[in-house]
Amino acid sequence: MPPALIRLGRQLVLVPIVAIASYFLMAALPLTTADDAKRQVAPEVLASYRRDLGLGQPLGFLRPWEKLFRGERLGTSAQGITGDELLWKLSGSVGVGLVALVLALGWALAFALLRARWRRGRLSVLGDSLPAVAFGTPVFIPALLLAPAVVERGHLLPELCAALVISVWPGIFLGTLVADALDTELARDYVRTALGKGLSPRSVLWRHVLPNVLPALLDAVGPVATSLLAGSFAAERVFGLPYFGQLYVLAVLQKQVAVVVVATTVFASLLVIVGLAVELVRLLVDPRAREART
Amino acid sequence: MSARRIPTRAWVGLVLLVGLGLASWLAGRVFPEALAHTCPLGMDPTHPDRTVCELAFGGLWVSLAVGLAAGALSTVLGLGVAMGARAAGGAVEHQVLRLVDAVFALPDVLVVMVLQLAGQSMLDAGHAGGLGPFGLMVVSLALVGWAGPARMFRNRLATLEGQEFIAASRALGAGRWHLLRVHLWPALRPFVLAVFLSRLPTAILTESTVSFFGIARMEPMSLGRYLGTSYAALIYEGGARVVLPAWGLLVLLVLGASLSSQALGAGTRRA
Repeated sequence: MPPALIRLGRQLVLVPIVAIASYFLMAALPLTTADDAKRQVAPEVLASYRRDLGLGQPLGFLRPWEKLFRGERLGTSAQGITGDELLWKLSGSVGVGLVALVLALGWALAFALLRARWRRGRLSVLGDSLPAVAFGTPVFIPALLLAPAVVERGHLLPELCAALVISVWPGIFLGTLVADALDTELARDYVRTALGKGLSPRSVLWRHVLPNVLPALLDAVGPVATSLLAGSFAAERVFGLPYFGQLYVLAVLQKQVAVVVVATTVFASLLVIVGLAVELVRLLVDPRAREART
Repeated sequence: MSARRIPTRAWVGLVLLVGLGLASWLAGRVFPEALAHTCPLGMDPTHPDRTVCELAFGGLWVSLAVGLAAGALSTVLGLGVAMGARAAGGAVEHQVLRLVDAVFALPDVLVVMVLQLAGQSMLDAGHAGGLGPFGLMVVSLALVGWAGPARMFRNRLATLEGQEFIAASRALGAGRWHLLRVHLWPALRPFVLAVFLSRLPTAILTESTVSFFGIARMEPMSLGRYLGTSYAALIYEGGARVVLPAWGLLVLLVLGASLSSQALGAGTRRA
């Protein structure tokens, strides 16, 4: 079997593993009733728990998916969700994530250039400490600082602000990575040879150095996509965006366990799709990746 | 590793961490009344009986304790998995590494939310085995966080086992336990500290985010839960006065752990 197909199979197997693991974890929950605990769940939630998870039925773990595909509502009537609503919410979060990815690439480029400029000056400490400050700032803090202007006064577009706040840390992370990879590549012999043969620095950068930096950038896209999607949970919550992240947090808070199972699996599928897309792009742009597969 | 070989940046990070730990312990635990009377930021709008300083330093102490406990537990778990995988070798090691990669691919926040839902339901039903909200959070973070350390320890062990001094020791008849105790563990020890410190900021940030959502019921409040409970007031009453101190403490905490783990990690790689 070709190695590319083996890699594809390995990535895809994550989806059923997450689906089954999350189902059995949720199905084993000792949800309490008024008779046996003071902090009980609402009777409607308990009924939907038993009904939606198909507890005690053969192939019960397929029950939430069966309901979704039939167009039935999963969870309680007030806070549940249908398949169409799930797709709409997912498309909202993916849209915010894509805008954030573009912004992150912009931050990355700007930070890599600034870091290169600061390297030998007094501002080099800033280039080193900015990534730590960005990493140490959870997404909800800049979101909270922007929230009064966005939510209360309605001055700014919530989706754009959400994309802006979730893009900062991934952007600086990518920028650090690009700057380090550029430094490594620029110190290699082939760069000196190309410059010695009379190629202009711009030509060396675009034709020789950047294609070698691209694989390092692609390696980081997976973690960055995960970071953007996870960051969207907090941003959507603060800005009140009714998309996938908000759905997930509310499902956990309200113990809508069938929704949690489905949403967790959908999230894992999304990560697998991102991984596959990265593999495809890598095959297109990196000849070494193509040679490794033949 | 001798004290002279520890890089300056690691010392700065470690001093920052210890300083924040001491400050939060003294201010939040030993002399809380001092902050109640002298806080320049005034009372918290959502907790009228407490000052912003009391809540921020109290939250810092809880966040730091959660991070230290979860970081230590995930490091121990990761080390155990890596050593087990190396000892088993072959197909078992290969399958363990694939499991490690699968767990590592999932975002910490999402998995901790699911584990908190499961843990709190068990807590409510009285099946949590004596764990409270603090213990549940530490266990949840460790169950998510072991994969990274396991990968790093396994790679480090594989590199060390390929060194000539290990081959020589084997040739002289050294057993597995002797190799581990006399050669591998001393070489691995500074790396264990670096990995533990690298888990610390991730654990603190994940706990803060999950607590901010209101999913974890941490009492006394961590920094994340403090910011989460002040959320409504922040929007309507100009909350920078409340947000900025807690944010600053969180950034300093993460900066300290990041600086020390990066410097120690680089130091052990050079060694």
